[in-house]
Amino acid sequence: MITTITIFIPLLGALLVALLPADDTTIRRAALGVAAVPLLLSLYIYFAFGDNLGAAPLSQDAGWISSLGIGYRVGMDGLGFGMFLLTALLAFVAVLASWQITTNLKQYFVLLFVAQVGMNGVFASQDLVLFYIFFELTLIPMYLMVGIWGDENRRPAALKFFIFTFLGSTTMLAGFLALGILGGTFSISGLEGGAGLSTTAQIAIAAPILLGLLVKVPAVPLHGWLMDVYTSSPTSTNVLLSGILPKLGTIGLLKVALPLLPEGVAPYLPYIAALGAVNVIYGGFAAFLQTDLKSLIAYSSIGTLGFILLGIGAGNAVGLNGAVLQQVTHGIYSSLLFIIVGIFAARTGTRKISELGGLIGRMPWAAGLFAVGGLAAMGLPGFAVFVSEFMTIMGGYEAYPVQGFVAALGVLLGAIYFLYMMRNVIYGPITNPAYEGIKDASPTEMAAIVPLSLLLLILGFFPALLIGVQQPAVQTIVALLGGNS
Amino acid sequence: MDGLVTAQSIVALLPELIVCVFLVVTLLTGVFAESQGAKSLASGLAPFGVVAAFVATVALLASGFSGSFFGDGFVIDPFALYIKLVVLGAAFFSMLAATRFASRTNGDGPEYAVLMLSVVFGALLLVSMRDLFGLFLALELATIPSYALVAFDRRRAESAEGGMKYLVTGVIASAVLLYGIVLLYGFAGSAAFSDIAAAYSEGLTPVGMLGLALLVSGFAFKLSAAPFHFWTPDAYQGAPTSAAAFLSVAPKAATFAALLRILVEAMPAATAVWTALVGVLAILTMFTGNLLALRQTSVRRMLAYSSVAHSGYILAAIAAVQGANTNLGVQAVLIYVTAYAVMNLGAFFVVDVVGEDFKLYNGLFRTRPMLAVAMGVFMAALVGLPPFSGFFGKMWVILAGAQSGSVLVYVVVGAVVVNSVISLPYYFAVFRNMFLEEPVSDGPKTDDGAMVFSIYAMAVLTVVFVVFVGLLATVTGGAGLG
Repeated sequence: MITTITIFIPLLGALLVALLPADDTTIRRAALGVAAVPLLLSLYIYFAFGDNLGAAPLSQDAGWISSLGIGYRVGMDGLGFGMFLLTALLAFVAVLASWQITTNLKQYFVLLFVAQVGMNGVFASQDLVLFYIFFELTLIPMYLMVGIWGDENRRPAALKFFIFTFLGSTTMLAGFLALGILGGTFSISGLEGGAGLSTTAQIAIAAPILLGLLVKVPAVPLHGWLMDVYTSSPTSTNVLLSGILPKLGTIGLLKVALPLLPEGVAPYLPYIAALGAVNVIYGGFAAFLQTDLKSLIAYSSIGTLGFILLGIGAGNAVGLNGAVLQQVTHGIYSSLLFIIVGIFAARTGTRKISELGGLIGRMPWAAGLFAVGGLAAMGLPGFAVFVSEFMTIMGGYEAYPVQGFVAALGVLLGAIYFLYMMRNVIYGPITNPAYEGIKDASPTEMAAIVPLSLLLLILGFFPALLIGVQQPAVQTIVALLGGNS
Repeated sequence: MDGLVTAQSIVALLPELIVCVFLVVTLLTGVFAESQGAKSLASGLAPFGVVAAFVATVALLASGFSGSFFGDGFVIDPFALYIKLVVLGAAFFSMLAATRFASRTNGDGPEYAVLMLSVVFGALLLVSMRDLFGLFLALELATIPSYALVAFDRRRAESAEGGMKYLVTGVIASAVLLYGIVLLYGFAGSAAFSDIAAAYSEGLTPVGMLGLALLVSGFAFKLSAAPFHFWTPDAYQGAPTSAAAFLSVAPKAATFAALLRILVEAMPAATAVWTALVGVLAILTMFTGNLLALRQTSVRRMLAYSSVAHSGYILAAIAAVQGANTNLGVQAVLIYVTAYAVMNLGAFFVVDVVGEDFKLYNGLFRTRPMLAVAMGVFMAALVGLPPFSGFFGKMWVILAGAQSGSVLVYVVVGAVVVNSVISLPYYFAVFRNMFLEEPVSDGPKTDDGAMVFSIYAMAVLTVVFVVFVGLLATVTGGAGLG
């Protein structure tokens, strides 16, 4: 029951915010209060059940359309829980980061909370149809958040996002329905191991599912929707777009494609790993060429998501553990960087790398934490990303040396462009006299970025905090894929 | 003959009798009413009649009442009762939404209500008929008043034009249908479904085939299935919006049910033939409706073509009804019809308030946020986006088709998926205009409480469908035919 409550409580929050009188300060406070509830509940779940997630008190099967084998089945499993927790944290942070939004604030928060319900649901669902419904529930709110509150390029960006991901998920649904019909149930645990399907059938069904999920990740060359929508979104939408949304794709790979169609995905795995390596290199080079800060971080995201694909493609315990962990670490660092870029842009009026410079003297906190985010992003030891990236490369190299080696080069690229960016943006002389008088991060902004920075360090030193939770689920996948952990 | 009219048969006819009584009362009050107030009162009676009939139908369904009456010509089973509930529910909200229009028509309100009640009366009878001639009469009883409903708005030339087109094509359809019925009568020597089924089981003769083909063609006209759909946009364009909403849902649901009953109960031995016929019609109808809807500049015409497309989806569900798959296929039809009723009525009601031009929807989210959200819900549902009602309709059709084991039906199901994608741009255009564009005016005025209530009720039903779909699945799961 607690799982259901935690999933849907933002919906009550949306209702509450919608019914409040239209006073921006009250709405902001109420939204923050609402966002705190799932965060507290998720933390409670972590501390109370962290050791045996998936145990009785957390899974629920309330029946639904039983004649078709479709059920309201939710539960916390090790694969999704890290992201569930992160969703709660990032929704809270996104509310803090939306302080500068002044138009139609109420509607913005309603959409944000509805999107959160969808995200929660994806990470917690244990039924294919339910998974798909939650997956699509994020689509309209995110479309509107970009399309209404984004910058001047928002409409084409939002449209592209909608069409790409809609086509992707329609493809995925076709695979889901085929799997459910042939398997006789839509329950994820009931279908585990392929539900007696022949290898040929599994391979055929895996194709549309993988394709749909790879659009969401997005894997190059299916990434066409990502750049415009990342760069034209408001900051707090960016937090969810980059922090959570791509993981709806990766969690689908981890929770549906691999365990439910182990024989079907096996032939695709080397290609998934190769796509991962391509993502890493493509994202790295493209990031290097960017003149806009947000574009740079967006391309670096494409690169980082490549490591997740590499780890998933590896299909071994190290790689998968790295991938599951990297979902979380990427969410933390990309949100941190996007929020701080938002702060920079709000103060200086520009996101152009060439027009910024010397910010660390004027805004030591924001710029300092930007450096923390940058160092974390390039995978410096001591930060969480180092651990997860290292694990995916290890796993990838072990399974497919070429793909692993190519991806490893991406770490080098990351170091180059992040150092270059930091040198130009926060160090060096102040390029514009107008920057002399700008203010450092406000207390609200600090409340959003300090916890994220700390979390990067905490998980960097104690990755076991999450690996412990996800390990059993990863072992199950490895066993299903026929490997030994 | 003795024993035809019994207490049982009266109970079986209870919903129809209630509607009939209200029809007569409304008609008489309308005729004798002098003042505007009395006329409003008369037209206000109709929704109560529908509610009373709804309650009676629920009682019949809940008590497990079933059986066949009047020499097996009239049957009460869960299938019939369920469709009656959909028809009555849709009629109720259409009548509520029509009150504003009725009050504008200079005292013709009672007539409008009488026509709607006549359509309801015909539709209720239609779903219970197990005899071809009775079925034809019930179908005409539902159709003839609907010509008048389309042409009701006499001040607009296009209303008369729409009514005229509808009348002419409708009469041809009736002739085709009747010819088919006569051939089937000649083929079986009886108009009873059971005798026709027996005749088919002895072999498919040319007369039997031709009768079947003409019967399905006649129904295709009435259901605006391509290539017999061309009256649809003009009729819906010309009709008062509440009538267009009502006609696109209530009599259509009953006509689909009647077609399904004939095919399943009277022609099980010819399944392969009608599956092919209905499957091809479904594919044609989906593509025609969606491709033509893409080109529309009026939201109302767009919805008219979209209703053609949705007829195609329902025909796809009918094509999936065969053999061991019958129950699932019938269930798909019932769920789809229910889902379609709530989302399509809502969309038409919003068009009644906002207007036809796509530009009128610009910035509706700024000027009338709740109305825009409601219309957004209807558009998303018509596309088939979860968690709204339309998604479950399409999902059932796809699941039923995928389990049919027939290659042709697999192709039909493929066409359903492809068409869902084709339909995205035109529904999405309304959505985008409402939420992302700047408003062009202060927004539409709606001071009509009944209309606003109907719109929000449909929006709520479209959204909570996801919660109650399990219950609907249970109810419709036991409502199989045959």
